[in-house]
Amino acid sequence: MAKQYKTIGEEIWRNKVEKINAELFTLTYGSIVAQLVKDYEDFTEVNKQLEKMGYNIGTRLIEDFLARSGVGRCQDFRETAEMVSKIGFKMFLNITPAVTNISPDGREFSLVLDENPLAECVELPDQAVLDEFWYSNILCGVLRGSLEMVQMQVDAFFVTDTLRGDDITEIRVKLIRYLEEEVPAGED
Amino acid sequence: MANINISCIAIIGKQNNPLYIKNFSPSHPDLKYHYIAHTSCDVMEERASMKAQDMYLGVLFSMEDLSVYGYMTNTKIKFITVLTVPDVIIKDLDMKNIFRRIHSAYVNHASNPFYEIDSQKMIKSKKFEQEIDAIGRGRAHEGGNRNSQIAPAP
Repeated sequence: MAKQYKTIGEEIWRNKVEKINAELFTLTYGSIVAQLVKDYEDFTEVNKQLEKMGYNIGTRLIEDFLARSGVGRCQDFRETAEMVSKIGFKMFLNITPAVTNISPDGREFSLVLDENPLAECVELPDQAVLDEFWYSNILCGVLRGSLEMVQMQVDAFFVTDTLRGDDITEIRVKLIRYLEEEVPAGED
Repeated sequence: MANINISCIAIIGKQNNPLYIKNFSPSHPDLKYHYIAHTSCDVMEERASMKAQDMYLGVLFSMEDLSVYGYMTNTKIKFITVLTVPDVIIKDLDMKNIFRRIHSAYVNHASNPFYEIDSQKMIKSKKFEQEIDAIGRGRAHEGGNRNSQIAPAP
């Protein structure tokens, strides 16, 4: 199953995606973060704003994803994890984070990024490291927004980040619940 | 390349403010290199206006046992390398290589969104210091950074 997703992801990246210059992308994201830091002056608040921005991106990005990839429904959360990693991240960032630490009940997983195009050449100021600032927090928002549009309420957050001196960059994704369509009152 | 003995690498900003000065030789005090860097600024501005095309400015001047090489970018950032004069003639190509690596390290550092380019403050970055250290001690290029391909001078 995983092999299949990998091939799909690579094929989409090669043929169906328009590419832009990596430096332009990195510098653009960098200037957004730097501006937010200057405006809010509080790293916790910047974390929240990045997550909100990511949420907005995610809700729209999922449509693009579904249209381009043409994949069907996932059977379970594990499959969701594979699709996110092998097709989603591949299509939009050309990276394939590893899916690890799947919880026994299958409702949680970790994504370990071995490279992060958002954070090339970035060095965090000391205060940021002290205040638990997650530079790429926009990714957590994107995950939350896009999965919400396919009826999954999740909590996505950074566990470790190489920018802060940790060994790996890891995002934890927890399924809170499936959002079922509610039958409007008055119908049987 | 093995014979080149770098005793100092200095980087001066566009308002002739010092950005980074690193002393590799135990025999000369830091202050001497501050002085050399300062003197070099004027020479470089003069030289650059004469030699229109190239960023590499060659030997700026020599004093005692030291020779000073300069390199200025179009954004008026100046790189200075001070060598203890060896027995062999230094090739222009070798010096250009050294400056290209310094330039690369500087570009990688400038790409950091949290670094304020016009702030007049000295550069304080561990990664940058490690790269300059590697260049100064003649070690191989530290890997990992994207911008290691500055176009060679024509």
